[in-house]
Amino acid sequence: MRILLVEDETDLLSSLALALREERYAVDTAADGEEGLYKAMNWSYDAIVLDVMLPQLDGWTVLARLRKAKKTPVLMLTARDTGRDRVRGLDTGADDYLVKPFDLDELLARLRALIRRSAGHATNGLQIGEVLIDTAARTVSRAGKHVELTAREYALVEFLAVHRGEVVTRTTLYEHLFDEDDSTLSNLLDVHVSNVRKKLGHDFIATRRGHGYQVGGPDGGIP
Amino acid sequence: MIFRSIRWRLQIWHGLMMVGVLIGFGVTAYQLERATRMHQVDQELEVRQKNLRQSLREGSREGPPDGPPGRRGDTPPPRHELHLPPHLSRYFSKENSPAYYGVIWTRDGQESGRSDTAPPDVPPPDGVRPEAGTITRTRGTVREAYSATPPGEVVLAGRSIAPELAALRGFALGLLAVGGGVLGIGLAGGWFLVSRVIRPIHAISDTAGRIAAGNLSERIRTEEADSELGRLAAVLNGTFARLDDAFAQQRQFTADASHELRTPVSVILSQTQATLARPRSPEEYRATLEACQRSAQRMRRLITSLLELARLDAGQDPMDRQKFDLSKMVADALELVGPLGEERSVRWTTDLSAAPCTGDAEKITQVVTNLLTNAIHHNRDQGEVRVTVRAEEGGAVLIVADTGVGIAEADLPHVFRRFFRADKARSHGDGRTGLGLAICQAIVDAHQGRLSVTSRPGAGSTFTLRLPAA
Repeated sequence: MRILLVEDETDLLSSLALALREERYAVDTAADGEEGLYKAMNWSYDAIVLDVMLPQLDGWTVLARLRKAKKTPVLMLTARDTGRDRVRGLDTGADDYLVKPFDLDELLARLRALIRRSAGHATNGLQIGEVLIDTAARTVSRAGKHVELTAREYALVEFLAVHRGEVVTRTTLYEHLFDEDDSTLSNLLDVHVSNVRKKLGHDFIATRRGHGYQVGGPDGGIP
Repeated sequence: MIFRSIRWRLQIWHGLMMVGVLIGFGVTAYQLERATRMHQVDQELEVRQKNLRQSLREGSREGPPDGPPGRRGDTPPPRHELHLPPHLSRYFSKENSPAYYGVIWTRDGQESGRSDTAPPDVPPPDGVRPEAGTITRTRGTVREAYSATPPGEVVLAGRSIAPELAALRGFALGLLAVGGGVLGIGLAGGWFLVSRVIRPIHAISDTAGRIAAGNLSERIRTEEADSELGRLAAVLNGTFARLDDAFAQQRQFTADASHELRTPVSVILSQTQATLARPRSPEEYRATLEACQRSAQRMRRLITSLLELARLDAGQDPMDRQKFDLSKMVADALELVGPLGEERSVRWTTDLSAAPCTGDAEKITQVVTNLLTNAIHHNRDQGEVRVTVRAEEGGAVLIVADTGVGIAEADLPHVFRRFFRADKARSHGDGRTGLGLAICQAIVDAHQGRLSVTSRPGAGSTFTLRLPAA
């Protein structure tokens, strides 16, 4: 899962990025509205955390322009606790709204819910065959037994599971699993896929040659 | 309770006044009518009475025409019919309507003659003297006129005034009816007029009520701006507008202040929560603590500024007024602020001449320092700040002109507003609260001075501070 964080308050940006990375998200950051809009338009993020008060372009403008092109889920951060702002945010196309100061846990929970909703799921648990993924606790178990995954492996499993039944291209995976700072070589993705197959069963991830990977598909992966 | 309302009080007063006027008018009209009618009756009676007297004189000279002479002087003189000459007797005929009658008494009160129209019980008037002339009296429904002849006989003529009394009763009833009608119409008209007067008052009080209940943006509609109520409404509207404005500013200020405080608090929360989520290295803890310190310092600056503004607003800070030379103060401030300019290669150009003024030196120093710091902060690299101090009539003036980005014309009126930042693209981390110029303005206001700004966008801004000499 890849997330864009747009916040001009350096100390806030750094702590949020740290917390999100530790939650196994790939995190891109932007310190002003223009940079944020550019990144949001050019990559497909699983969610965007957008501050309202931004230099260059404010959050409202960024949101309005983004909504003309993309449906990426957006969580707005604002220091103004007025009903009018909430209404405006939701009307402009924000998917959720959080008033500063907020608790990190709440931000993380809302982000999870946002990503889940945009993928069309209602709960934190994703069951694929005998594999159960708990997106809140970020744990994976197979037939009731806990399976230890690295951050990357978990991110790969979660992304494929959230988009179960869909063929996910390698490009998409790169876009969503690695942030702009990752100097990952492309074959590393194959390494992660192979490791996951070792831990969760070879059939868990099906390869659609020339297209990408799939989990929980009609005739591929684990039914 | 309802009778305490203006409507009812006006209505009651109006009604009472109308009743008073109508009664006065009616009584006067009735009296006049009655007097006129009685006067007419009296005139007629006087004529009859004079006729009688005349006939008496004639009679005493000639004797009663029909009476046997031998009976004259008989005792007691019998009551006898009046014998009048034919030209007079028709006046006392029964055929007349109303019928006149005449009665004559001798000097000692014995009735000596009466017309056959006379009622049986006419009491002789007492103590009538010849020189008193003709006297009238009313007995029940008859009116009588009488006088005494020089020999002492009393001659009386009278008639029933029942027709007159009936006419007067009719007249009074008519007056009553017309008066009642007029009163009714008057009361209805009064009600209508009062309603017309009251309606805009009700409208004003209703609107004012709604405004007081919270809808401060509503205004009283003024249809007739020149009427008294129109002027009242205009005055109220002006008051509401000022209140509305003050409340809006207060709301804005509170929202801004809480906004400015929320940001550092959210930094501290997210920094500590992210760091405490798992064990960290000492360097990581240190970085977190430093971020928290920065936020705490920012909150301290903000709180200090807010408190200062609150004190200035309340007028609590007593101004320590003393005489000082503004040029010296600016020179001292330049020494402190000067190095800031060097960091950005901003050139100082100064033209300072002695300028005595009066004020709280510490507070004015704060204003001067703020203006100088702003001039650097909003300047371009390798820019220039021109600082001029001179004396002018009535005080001292300081002009600080920078060569920065300037201020957009639309923003100029708001530059001194609390938390206003012309530069929306500001960074939160620059240590500025957005209250500096607002505080300057408040301080200068407390000195009865003036702080103003002009600007050419792209070329720079010029702040001018004027302080009174005394």
